[in-house]
Amino acid sequence: MLLEARGITKAFGSFKAVDDASVTLEHSDILGLIGPNGAGKSTFFNCLTGDLKTTSGRVLFEGRDITDFAPELRAGLGLARTFQVPQTFEGMTVLENVMIGAFLRTAHRKEAETKARAVLERVGMSRLADAPARSLGTPGRKRLEIARALATEPKVLLLDEAMAGLNAHEVKLAIDLVRDIHRSGITLVIVEHIMEVIMSLASRVMVFHQGKEIARGSPREVTSNPAVIEAYLGKRAAKAAAGHTPVELMGGPDL
Amino acid sequence: MRRWIWLSVVVAIAIAYPLLLSSPFQQRLGALVLLYAIAASAWNIVGGYAGQVSVGHVVFFGCGAYAAMGSYAKFGLSPLFGIPGGIVIAVGLAAIIGVPTLRLSGHYFSMATIAVAETMRLIVTNTDWLGAAVGLSGPTVPRNIFDLSFLSSLPYYYLFLVILAITLFVTWWMTNSRMGFYLRAIKDSERAARSLGAPASRTKLYAYMLSAAFTSVAGALYAMMFGFVDPESGLGILISVKILIMAALGGAGLLFGPLVGAAILVPLEEISNSWLGGKGAGLTFVLYGAIIVLIARFQPGGLLSLFTRRRKPSADPGASHAP
Repeated sequence: MLLEARGITKAFGSFKAVDDASVTLEHSDILGLIGPNGAGKSTFFNCLTGDLKTTSGRVLFEGRDITDFAPELRAGLGLARTFQVPQTFEGMTVLENVMIGAFLRTAHRKEAETKARAVLERVGMSRLADAPARSLGTPGRKRLEIARALATEPKVLLLDEAMAGLNAHEVKLAIDLVRDIHRSGITLVIVEHIMEVIMSLASRVMVFHQGKEIARGSPREVTSNPAVIEAYLGKRAAKAAAGHTPVELMGGPDL
Repeated sequence: MRRWIWLSVVVAIAIAYPLLLSSPFQQRLGALVLLYAIAASAWNIVGGYAGQVSVGHVVFFGCGAYAAMGSYAKFGLSPLFGIPGGIVIAVGLAAIIGVPTLRLSGHYFSMATIAVAETMRLIVTNTDWLGAAVGLSGPTVPRNIFDLSFLSSLPYYYLFLVILAITLFVTWWMTNSRMGFYLRAIKDSERAARSLGAPASRTKLYAYMLSAAFTSVAGALYAMMFGFVDPESGLGILISVKILIMAALGGAGLLFGPLVGAAILVPLEEISNSWLGGKGAGLTFVLYGAIIVLIARFQPGGLLSLFTRRRKPSADPGASHAP
């Protein structure tokens, strides 16, 4: 077991954004977290990365309790993440952005630079290495987020809506990149709104609704689960949809 | 290559200045520029590179100034011996102040540092052992060269030049190390930096301590040159403000920014003081206020950023559409 969350609850005041959610992640899984807006998937995600402190529950990484570990310590263990709204280091070049990630495994500037260049090559951004990061558009920033995270040599990579704001062509390119990352032996957790992304990538899916896990299983299983359809489309629609294949209703998969 | 040419020109001018413009006023002016450049460069380590705007830096300045004068006034030693002591006290104090306050973000950190500085000033003003409101004096007549008490500003000028060179070299070395990269990342997005493994709190604290050490040296040199320190000249909040404005005017987060700022502001203040006499002292601070407004409005990166921005390569328009 690579990553495990046991009974995670995150409350803001009396409101439970995540209520008793558990998940296990095996090596080379691609776990998709889905759910309507405000379902708690991002909160859950941030509890895994350490950006949010859990109210109760434990997070284990390779059997070790990391619940009280700060994000930088989790990064050191091999947990890397990207941000939904790219947190680009605006004052740096693209290369320097990636070097920040590479510095986790080496204190030497030269080594960090060599590694960062290799990562940029891998994600197809080496042409932009010396450009100021602030000159990048959304797709470039999203890709840079992934490059930076890869430079930390993660075992698990958590992608927070890495495809949001991309057009269909860019989504396809991004999916290829994620597949390539997965092939290299990195386990993935992806939070995603775009159904086709989840359908084509995830090996297992966990569905959130109002802070609770309402379904889990293969992408096909969960999208045909009545509770899931109800969460997305409402009760009446769920009844009406009973005769159709739910995957169609949710806009995928076209790939 | 061009960088080295520029650097050698600057160094040559710095070395030749007091020999070419050799009136006592000009030499004193030069020494003061260098002194403030040291303090502003020290501030730049934490305020510019790490983006933690400390407005209480005078605390560390005061540590150095009081340690230097104290080592003479209390122990009869050369003020020089106070420098290491001042550094130790300043770094220790930075650790004590930094651990709780560096967690605060933006303005709250600045306000906390002001509070600490003012508290220190009040404590020292009421501590008889430190001379209370009168302060401490250095040797009135130098006993030997190690008292570093000279009538001419020339020896001070070259001493300050060497210390400034050391400060800038350490800063330069830091910016090229992992720590410097981490500081810049933390300044842009602390959350992202931490997610990539940068220990944000620790890195900021180290920068704060390093900055405190050099600020303390600047304070010690200041007290040696003037031969005394009192709560106003050693711990007054306006010194913090002056240091900060110099760095911001020249370019915070740029190696030579503070030097440029000091080279503009110190002469401005000295000249306005000598023209207007005692009455003009307040006017200097009106000027500072105006400069803060102008920098914030027109050139938040400081004057030097006018040049660096032009030289940096910008991505071609196609870059934003790259996959």
